[in-house]
Amino acid sequence: MGADLPIGQQSIPELGDPPADATVLRMLLGAQLRRLREGVGVSPEKAGYEIRASRSKISRMETGRVGFKARDIEDLLTLYGVADGQQRTEILALARKSNLPDWWARYSDILPDWFETYLGLESAAISIRSFEVQFVPGLFQIEDYARAVTRLGHRTASADEIERRVGLRMRRQSLLTRAAPPHVWAVMDEAVLRRPLGNAAVLRAQLRRLTEAAQLPDVTLQVVPFARGGHAGASGAFSILRFEEQDLPDVVYIEQLTSALYLDQRSDVEHYLEVADQLSGEALTPDETTAFIEQVAREI
Amino acid sequence: MATDEAAVRDGGTADQGEPPAFDTSVAHQARVYDYLLGGKDNYAADRAAAESWLQVNPDTVFTARANRAFLGRAVRFLAAEAGIRQFLDIGTGIPTAGNTHHVAQSVAPAARVVYVDYDPVVLAHARALLTSRGAGKTNYIHADLRDTATILGKAQELLDFTQPVAITLIAILHAIPDSDNPHAIVARLLDSVPSGSYLAVSHMGSDLIPPQTLQEMRAIGSRMSQQQYSHRTGEEVTRFFDGTDLVEPGLVRVEEWRPEPGSSDTRKSFIWSAVGRKR
Repeated sequence: MGADLPIGQQSIPELGDPPADATVLRMLLGAQLRRLREGVGVSPEKAGYEIRASRSKISRMETGRVGFKARDIEDLLTLYGVADGQQRTEILALARKSNLPDWWARYSDILPDWFETYLGLESAAISIRSFEVQFVPGLFQIEDYARAVTRLGHRTASADEIERRVGLRMRRQSLLTRAAPPHVWAVMDEAVLRRPLGNAAVLRAQLRRLTEAAQLPDVTLQVVPFARGGHAGASGAFSILRFEEQDLPDVVYIEQLTSALYLDQRSDVEHYLEVADQLSGEALTPDETTAFIEQVAREI
Repeated sequence: MATDEAAVRDGGTADQGEPPAFDTSVAHQARVYDYLLGGKDNYAADRAAAESWLQVNPDTVFTARANRAFLGRAVRFLAAEAGIRQFLDIGTGIPTAGNTHHVAQSVAPAARVVYVDYDPVVLAHARALLTSRGAGKTNYIHADLRDTATILGKAQELLDFTQPVAITLIAILHAIPDSDNPHAIVARLLDSVPSGSYLAVSHMGSDLIPPQTLQEMRAIGSRMSQQQYSHRTGEEVTRFFDGTDLVEPGLVRVEEWRPEPGSSDTRKSFIWSAVGRKR
């Protein structure tokens, strides 16, 4: 599948496979801790007290948002009545593995914590559904387009920093060409295709990249044309990340100016799932979308 | 048996051909099925209904999975042994692993599949996901099974009705009450395809469920679900195959239809199944 991508956007072999596992391991371990806690009827407050932390720390641990300290896990397992030596050893080994650094650790100076969380979820997901109102989804941006987007958000950044940020974005795209890529299903408002980031030539190249990406077996692109009038996506851009494990809930990601929202309560997620389902029903089909993007590219 | 007055609410014959509006506040068969198969494309109302059915009939999960597995084996048989290259899959449901075109095109890459469903959630997923990029082709029609004119008209854009077609009606006919004459619907579909075509059906069996359980299942359906279910006897299901010859082993529970060698599960589903070849 790598051959389908232009040179320069293929995966960078020396960095190795994205270790998607760390995030998933944290989430699985968190889910297991939650089940153990609920099984013995211990409140999050009490569990937090036991490890000298807050209720919200327990919540972050149980959703896999933070790393685990061996001592915390030991204390929690004792509180939850897990006396079996083998089970304790297994859980602790899982905790150690889940704390290995992710590939983006080298970018941590330019990455806010909330975006590191997203990268972990993104590389662990089996499907990524998104709705975009302004920009081409990051996973499909070409360098020049990404540079223009990055400059918008970091007006005072040095040229070096901009290049590192663009480099990070390109590095993320390697998940499209890894052995078992996630299904990336993006719905874009027509405005995304028409807003000239960089210049007209950059936008044309970007649109060409979109039509190429649409041919990848695990990529589904749809556009909601202006002509369809108002649509279900009035809420703005969002992503829904899905994980293979039955235990793990879908996570909705909404980026804000200085932070991000992660929703994983089923009732919240369902709202976005419904909007995504409606948008996909209202949007052009994938085949119509490719023709539409080509048409827009000719008009620029 | 299938005199469900509530069927009128579901479209019935009154506004035939008008697929239901996007509404996730009431359970819908496709999404309940997705939940029972372990999928995540379902909503609170779907899960509530599924859980209620599970309470009165714990075999429901096994049954849903056995039904899905039957689809896979039947399509494989049709493509590999019967040499079928065109499929009309009505009642597609939310795409998951092993959809009809995946199975058919793994045997015959040029196989063509037309999918039909009327759930708007299925529409969103099917248009995006049920695509093939190789030699084979797929198409999706958003229509109600009762609207055979629309289905047959649009299906002919991709399928050649002078050549054999396999019509698959997997776990959908029990959503059509007797008042909408499901046997006539199936006859119209079979009439439009040539001799040597095939029909594959699975259908919840009223004679495979204890009467008390059946009553409770129906009560849940009329309270919580968009579709009202008309469970039918093996004999009534067999009548869908008028004008065809059933292939071995005839009408059996879904898990008993040409099982994979070595399958040793002793649980029983409550869905009848058969495959017939048009004379």
